[in-house]
Amino acid sequence: MLRLEAVSKRYGRAAPVLTGVDLELTAGQVVAIKGGNGSGKSTLLRIVVGLSSPSTGIVTGRPASIGYVPERFPPDERLSAAAYLLHMGRIRGLTTRVASRRAARLCDRLGLIGDASAPLQRLSKGNAQKVAVAQALLVAPQLLVLDEPWSGLDITAHGVLNELVTEAAGSGAAVLFTDHGDALTSAGASVGYELTGGRLRPRPGAAGQRHVVTEVVLAAPVTGPQPRRVQWSALPGVLDTCHEGDTVTVRVADEHRDALLLAALRRGWSVTELRRAAASAQPPGSGAR
Amino acid sequence: MIALIHFRLSTLLHSQRYLPPALLFLAVLAVGTVNSSGPLLPVYALCAGAVFISAAWLTVALANIEGPEHRAITVISAGGSRAPLVATIAVALAGCVVLTVVGLLLPLAWGTHSPTAAELAVGVGAQLICACAGVGIGLLCSRLVITRPGYSLLTALALVMLTLLAPAIPPVNPVLRLLSSGRGPHELLWPLLGFAAVAIATLAVSAVLTQRVAARRT
Repeated sequence: MLRLEAVSKRYGRAAPVLTGVDLELTAGQVVAIKGGNGSGKSTLLRIVVGLSSPSTGIVTGRPASIGYVPERFPPDERLSAAAYLLHMGRIRGLTTRVASRRAARLCDRLGLIGDASAPLQRLSKGNAQKVAVAQALLVAPQLLVLDEPWSGLDITAHGVLNELVTEAAGSGAAVLFTDHGDALTSAGASVGYELTGGRLRPRPGAAGQRHVVTEVVLAAPVTGPQPRRVQWSALPGVLDTCHEGDTVTVRVADEHRDALLLAALRRGWSVTELRRAAASAQPPGSGAR
Repeated sequence: MIALIHFRLSTLLHSQRYLPPALLFLAVLAVGTVNSSGPLLPVYALCAGAVFISAAWLTVALANIEGPEHRAITVISAGGSRAPLVATIAVALAGCVVLTVVGLLLPLAWGTHSPTAAELAVGVGAQLICACAGVGIGLLCSRLVITRPGYSLLTALALVMLTLLAPAIPPVNPVLRLLSSGRGPHELLWPLLGFAAVAIATLAVSAVLTQRVAARRT
């Protein structure tokens, strides 16, 4: 889908922010970029979404429908969150009814229920960030780009964001996000890169792994008390959950499998099955072109 | 485009940033037209000058509402930066039309004149010409082009004063002098059409420049 070839960026005469960056995104892929503060992550994302053009190098195959969550979403608008999202939905070509329904559903899932009619100015940082995430998903994007989306979000919203990212990738979007922490697996990223000194390198242990996900099937124990309810999506590394009758199937990144099992057993769940799930990951460069 | 215009209009109304230029406009009109009498065209020259200044101010205010991050989201949602800029211009011009209507009727209400249809037409034309020029200058002084507020303000003052006072720079000063020259409204039709073309061209060039500079800055 989208391809960056030998992309460099420099502002004025300062040292280049990016040097010779090659990156390819394919549909359904979740790509994480890790890097310290000021490593050029935001610049790279701005080039990917087309807000910024590279000094040298080319970008090809940028899709029409893009969802972009900027690093900061300063609440300088006097519109309410609901009105802002309605406007953004209409600008994206939705009708008023569809836009307000999509916006309400996203706000609901992200936990922004009571504040939707308050002016954006009065929202807390986390709630403003939720509005920023919601506006990017009003229309199912073909390319979803999130700049440090986890910063400022509460733990419940982390789980929801993971779900939203997984859903977007599941419906064919290429997802690219950055984080300065180790959020690589928390969104089920299939490919990881590290940005240091303006150069993009595959992250060891992340890129090229074909099996990074385990499906854990949990059920109530045959004897003994009912297990306690758990919000699986809020646990680290959980990609999605599926409820079928009394059993729950949780897809979890390998690195967090043991922690999930421990949490499940402690709350009285019984583990009935563990499966290797074929992740949608493809090593960079070998994917469909 | 309608959604973008609606969005721009909503943020302008909510931000109330239209108030200072609107109040300035009313103040100038109050000073210049209350108890005015005699020929109407010199009064409309004053109104057109006021429209020019207020149009520039309104455009800067409108274009500056959106911070860089919000602008990024709007641009991505709209699929490019051209449509949001066109929406900004459309809303600024719509505001100028409101000013023009006010500037057309207030002199009649506050002063003693016997207007003819030709005089009214010349009044509308002159004010719209000045509105186009004002919007063009406003775009060039907005944060899309000049990011630092101090420089932006100084540039705006310099450009507005220069355009308003220098006889060699069309279309504002020549139009104002034309209306004050004492010639009949029928004689002004063709010159005004020429200046209207210049005003629209000024706005177009300014829009293209703004778009180029804003794209290049990123």
